[in-house]
Amino acid sequence: MWTDSGGAGVEQHTITVVWVDALRHYDAPASRLGPSPDERFKELAGEWRRDTRFMSSTTDMALHPAYQQIIGMGKEAIPLILRELDREPDHWFWALWAISGEDPVPKEDRGRVHRMAEAWITWGKQRDYL
Amino acid sequence: MSRHLEEAFPRLRGSSYEVTSPRDTEYNCIAWAVGESDRWWWPDGRAFWPDDLPRERSLDAFVQAFGRLGFSGCESPEFEPGFEKIALFADAHGCPTHAAKLQPSGRWTSKLGKEEDIEHELEDLEGSHYGSVATILKRPATPTVSAPSD
Repeated sequence: MWTDSGGAGVEQHTITVVWVDALRHYDAPASRLGPSPDERFKELAGEWRRDTRFMSSTTDMALHPAYQQIIGMGKEAIPLILRELDREPDHWFWALWAISGEDPVPKEDRGRVHRMAEAWITWGKQRDYL
Repeated sequence: MSRHLEEAFPRLRGSSYEVTSPRDTEYNCIAWAVGESDRWWWPDGRAFWPDDLPRERSLDAFVQAFGRLGFSGCESPEFEPGFEKIALFADAHGCPTHAAKLQPSGRWTSKLGKEEDIEHELEDLEGSHYGSVATILKRPATPTVSAPSD
């Protein structure tokens, strides 16, 4: 922790902070930082889609590690999921429910994947996720 | 013949299976087995499952659920005039994974997850994805109890 205990004082501290920050950027330039949320989502979604294509169990789909990581991205994942759902309706409903705590799908539409997707996309627009 | 199917289900190789629909995410094998192609059935709270059937993923619960739709246990996987038959597959833990429906030809029809429907021999789908056939169920061809609408 910085204390002004004599010596060069605040100016030296500022220089040190800037220097440490510069070193950090040198060690980890943008090209070596992790993937963006969008890239990460695409990679995880692709893995999930590939591994679950023959599954009937939506429980197993939701328990897939890639799907769980997408849930772990939190609200940042919601617009990414909704765009994916708009592109190709699929079983993203557990993730959306788990992250948002909401379920806009009318009971009579449960299991009707296109209608479920439409309900979530409308929900997303109403909440400015899309 | 479809390479991605044979990679997932090696017993299809050399078998006379036939792809009978394009891929479709709208319905699954359970829906297909009970005669629907516009809903995804699963007892998970998000997909469709009749309200009055137990939402539990065990073989006993599935047999009970199908029992409410008029199915009962059956020894033979052979076609019997006047009856519909389905086969339930389960993994090594006894969790249901798949359902196939018997056709009058004596061959079986399955919806493979989000992928295609195929016509196949029953044992063609046994393996790492669906485990093995756990039980055969049958009901009169004109069901005494129809699938509830919701």
